[in-house]
Amino acid sequence: MARGREWIGFAVFAVLLTAFPLVAPESIVDIGVYALIYGIAALGLSLLMGLAGQVNLGQAAFFAIGAYTQGMLVTRYGVALPVAAVVAVAFAMLAALLVGLPLLRLRGHYLALATLGLGIIVTVAATESDYLGATSGIYGIAKPEFGGRRYDSAAEFFWLLAPVMFLAVLFARNVVAGRIGRALGAINDSEVAAECLGADTFRLRLQVFVLSAGYGGLAGVAYVHWIGVVNPNAANFPLSVEFLLMAVLGGLGSVWGAVIGAVAVEFLDEGLRDVIPRLIPHASGEVQLIGFGVALTAVVLFVPGGLYDLWRRAVTRLRRRSATPAAPSGSTVDTTDETPVLSRPDRPAPGTTLLSVEGLVRHFGGVTALDGVSFDVRAGEIFGLIGPNGAGKTTCFNIVSGVLAPSGGSVRLRGTRIDGRKPHVSARARATRTFQNLQIFGSTTVRGNVAVGRHLRGRAGLLRAALVLPARAEERAIARSVDEILALVGIADAADRPAADLSFGRQRLVEIARALALEPDLLLLDEPMAGLSGGERADLARLLRRLRAGGMAIVLVEHDVEAVLALADRVAVLDDGVLIALGRPDEVRHDPAVVAAYLGLDEDDEVDETADDPVVRAAVRELDGG
Amino acid sequence: MAGIRALGAAAAVAALLVATAGCAEKDTGGGTDESGPIAVGAILDITGAGASLGVPERKTLELLTKKLNDAGGINGRKLELTVEDNQSTEDGAAKAMNQMVSKKVDLVIGASRTGTSLAMRAIAETNELPMLSMAANVKVVDGAKWVFKTAQNDSAVLANVVDYAKSKGWKTIGLARDSSAFGEGVAETLNSLGKADGISVVATEKFAPDATEFTAQMVNLRNAKADANLIWGIPPAAALAQKTYKQLGITAPVMQSHGIGNQVFLDTAGPAADGLIAPVGRLVVADQLPANDPQKSVLTTFVNNYKAAYNETPSTFAGHAWDAFQLAVDAFKAVGTDKQKVRDHLEQVKGFVGITGVFTMTPQDHSGLGKEALVLVTVSGSKWQLAPA
Amino acid sequence: MTDLGQLLLAGLSVGGVYALVAMGFAAIYAVSGVLNLTQGEFAALAGLVAISASGNGFPLPLAALLGIVTVVVLALAIQRLIIAPVRRMTTLLSIILTLGVSTALKATMLLIWGPEGRGLDPLPGNDFTAAGVAVRSQYLWILGVSVVVAVAVSWFYERTLAGKALRACAEQPVAARLAGISVARASLVSFGIAGLLGGIAGVLASPVYFSAWDSGLALGLKGFVAATLGGLTSIRGAFMGGLVLGVVESLVAGYIDTGLRDAVAFVVLIVVLVARPDGVLRRQVAARV
Repeated sequence: MARGREWIGFAVFAVLLTAFPLVAPESIVDIGVYALIYGIAALGLSLLMGLAGQVNLGQAAFFAIGAYTQGMLVTRYGVALPVAAVVAVAFAMLAALLVGLPLLRLRGHYLALATLGLGIIVTVAATESDYLGATSGIYGIAKPEFGGRRYDSAAEFFWLLAPVMFLAVLFARNVVAGRIGRALGAINDSEVAAECLGADTFRLRLQVFVLSAGYGGLAGVAYVHWIGVVNPNAANFPLSVEFLLMAVLGGLGSVWGAVIGAVAVEFLDEGLRDVIPRLIPHASGEVQLIGFGVALTAVVLFVPGGLYDLWRRAVTRLRRRSATPAAPSGSTVDTTDETPVLSRPDRPAPGTTLLSVEGLVRHFGGVTALDGVSFDVRAGEIFGLIGPNGAGKTTCFNIVSGVLAPSGGSVRLRGTRIDGRKPHVSARARATRTFQNLQIFGSTTVRGNVAVGRHLRGRAGLLRAALVLPARAEERAIARSVDEILALVGIADAADRPAADLSFGRQRLVEIARALALEPDLLLLDEPMAGLSGGERADLARLLRRLRAGGMAIVLVEHDVEAVLALADRVAVLDDGVLIALGRPDEVRHDPAVVAAYLGLDEDDEVDETADDPVVRAAVRELDGG
Repeated sequence: MAGIRALGAAAAVAALLVATAGCAEKDTGGGTDESGPIAVGAILDITGAGASLGVPERKTLELLTKKLNDAGGINGRKLELTVEDNQSTEDGAAKAMNQMVSKKVDLVIGASRTGTSLAMRAIAETNELPMLSMAANVKVVDGAKWVFKTAQNDSAVLANVVDYAKSKGWKTIGLARDSSAFGEGVAETLNSLGKADGISVVATEKFAPDATEFTAQMVNLRNAKADANLIWGIPPAAALAQKTYKQLGITAPVMQSHGIGNQVFLDTAGPAADGLIAPVGRLVVADQLPANDPQKSVLTTFVNNYKAAYNETPSTFAGHAWDAFQLAVDAFKAVGTDKQKVRDHLEQVKGFVGITGVFTMTPQDHSGLGKEALVLVTVSGSKWQLAPA
Repeated sequence: MTDLGQLLLAGLSVGGVYALVAMGFAAIYAVSGVLNLTQGEFAALAGLVAISASGNGFPLPLAALLGIVTVVVLALAIQRLIIAPVRRMTTLLSIILTLGVSTALKATMLLIWGPEGRGLDPLPGNDFTAAGVAVRSQYLWILGVSVVVAVAVSWFYERTLAGKALRACAEQPVAARLAGISVARASLVSFGIAGLLGGIAGVLASPVYFSAWDSGLALGLKGFVAATLGGLTSIRGAFMGGLVLGVVESLVAGYIDTGLRDAVAFVVLIVVLVARPDGVLRRQVAARV
């Protein structure tokens, strides 16, 4: 983590904030105040858009809620400013919670437009409410007064707001760099993989949504004490667009970007208002929206990472890249080590049933993919699931891992039903999986990928992110575990490389390491051997044996029948959605139904080793292991 | 792709340059010294919802400034007018007001409407800067020391409505009002003014200031079957509402507010406007006033000057701006630019003949106009006419 | 009863305008998954151009045509210059992009035409009263044209080979390309259709509902709500959604509270999105794996 460099950034920021009102003329400081106020709201929005990948076109609604609440409490109920501020921000967050619960289940663009509607509903509600002052709103809100001093000049207000902004940025940065930010980044890369590693997508997104609204509300509090007036216009759509522009211009998800974006937009606003009337006489006011619109479009088209991204690229280009060590092609693991690994004292004794699948049925429209499949998997065994194409292995696998809901039947993990529930529920019960179509988190390094696997082993939430120290200790522990697992799987040398840069086979290993980081009792592997070289397959097989020896249960879906039969303790064979065989590998190998299934013959057809057809002979030989 | 990135970087730099243009130190002129130009700031709703008010106000202020300076200014000092657009938003108004304060202007004229004026009021009071607003709602000056207004209070306008209703024997009034600050409190004021004569509001409908669909409101008014109906808004909404009113065949007499006193209303409403009654400032019927009306000559001069400069008749909003300007000039001529003295002078104005009416201010009344400031007009053949008594 | 009739008629008329705008949304989304937030601005611009043309002496039909053509050209330009160059377009991205364009467009309209709203001269016809309901001839024009247009466009999308080819692009762009359909051209055509629909909406709405630099926002949002009611990909659904929304708005304003009118569309939107994300008027689609 670039913590060291970051402290410099924060120090510079603090200096800038302090020095700005001293060196800038008053009218500029005035603009600076607006940059701070709106910047806080834009920061929240950038967090939401960057971390949760959701667009909120109604950030102004939470801004207005914060402003109105503060205005009401301070003028009508005489509440002290700091107390009212806490209540106002809490109110905005509560509103976001209520709104987010139903809305965050929507697909991205629907959420964007629903939040847009929210802004308009808040405007209309405020206009219609006499309690809230209807169209005049609330006015006469005094400037802040602490210790006998009134903060009513631009410079004073700026200094008052500066520490608030500083803390807001610090907090946001901690959230992004910490456990929550990591999980959300993973969700953005591959929601299904993150879920299977225990990330409760909905809950995490809701948390960020509520946090983002809190920032909006805080900005509203600052606004109302500066302008002294709040009315329904505070929730208007153009303001939400302005926040969006700030977040996008600065760089989505980038905390510093939001600050830069806010400053840039406010000064752009002033500049345009100055320049345009000089170019076009009698054009004034909202005409600067041309600039906003062009800026928004241009940034999205040409510089999607925003200004912060430009800055980072420039910095990276200037800094010489440290030489990356030549990556050895093979693994660095002792190829003869068969000792048990990753055992856990709390793990159920070998032989205990961990997974119990009963009467699993799944329809897709008119097609029945699974028709009454039942089996169980015990601790300390490797269980193979094979069958010809279209047998339903993947469907079965997806249902067991929680990615798909069954049409009937049940799946139980240690007695608890998990069918139809989201994958993170299984992950909490210590069951996780890898994917046939790799679901690598492409935006981070190998280390970052595996760290997501530790999500459930950590507890740092949003509050701990604010208090840096407890989260720091946990992060160090996580880093240690990650290193251990990387060494175990044999990819420690690639730890700091972007995961997307690795070869296919090594990416497979990253996924496995990631899954192991969860410390599962049940590991589901979907075609883990595909794409691996002979040596890599041998290494993986050995790893699986060691894991079994440590008491883990492993379910293996594979096309490489030979590998499965060699590795597994028991094998289930699916054909056409039905379980046609279940037993030890040697039993299954010779089962005529299995042979017939693979060859596409009817059960009654004779299968003869001496058959005329060379294909048949080869197939039979293959199944015999000869 | 590198080309695009370079383009993006270049655009970013260009934008930065534009932004720094905005950082250019704004000129600070005027101030409390007694020589040099007098700095007057004007913060108007030029774009946005208040555009139909702000634009004529700006025109008037610019015209009057030119005339004043051409004639030698005030005691040899020129008047420097700075016009800012608040975009009809509260933070636009507050921002502009703060800038006026840092520019150290001697007086501020603005804003055009209630919401924006309220945003400016606190800053005027804190910084002890005389402010002349052109907004309608009395909230703008209620309890204020440094803020005055030149537009009639709603109560003055509604008193005329009540008087007319009383003279016609109407007891029930249906109201369709603008949902912005302009229309707020109308029903309550009407009820309290009419109580003594048994006149009350039996239905209240609201419409957004930019609404174009009025079927629902007019249908409800039709059903309320009031003796007369009052539409309270500004054009184009008020005009479109008038059209719908007639289209639905409502036969009850219809009144309008003082907000319609301009050509835009007549143009938009067309023949549907015929027959309405509205209390407005004398400006729109200046030529029909008797010769002994105290305002007649001031009105006629203003109308002629405005027409000569802009080729159109001035609206009542232009009149409010005229009043604000001339009140300020009157104060400057009498006491110079010391803010406290200007404020005190304004508070003591008596019998000042303006466009909107004849002003008499008191410490309790910073509006200075009563119901006599308005006359009842009707529309006939798409022209304003003094209403028959 | 006449009240109900009056409110229904007013609702159907404004609903017809919503329907045209909504169909424009669906026309584009059904082909490329792009949500074009400039749809409302198309209507506003067409109205303003027609008003200027008419004010400069052009006869009404020609002025209207000029307005529509201007907007179609603009729509094609937007697709070519803004949408097409983006390689990995997501719906979310298209929202932000078109939001930027619509903001710039709005401000340009403000620059050229100023802040006041204006109305185009009404189309020929006499107002009359039937069964106590005042009927403006313009209402009938709006309804009539929108029905004809809806039939024509949905016939195009659903019955002609070209239309089906367009729809194939959204569902399976790679397969469509393999089948020889130019996805880029399909997107262009869909924008042209959307521009046509928006332009017609603007020209029809202008005499009654006025055109102003910012009238596109409300119109665009409500058109989007209407399109969502219909499932976003269905032309017919968008048409019905528009009419339903207009009527509901009118009835709520008339019978409940006129102040709530503008909130109706968004309450409806949120309710629909939460309850039936695939649209109220759409048949249930079998879940895909």
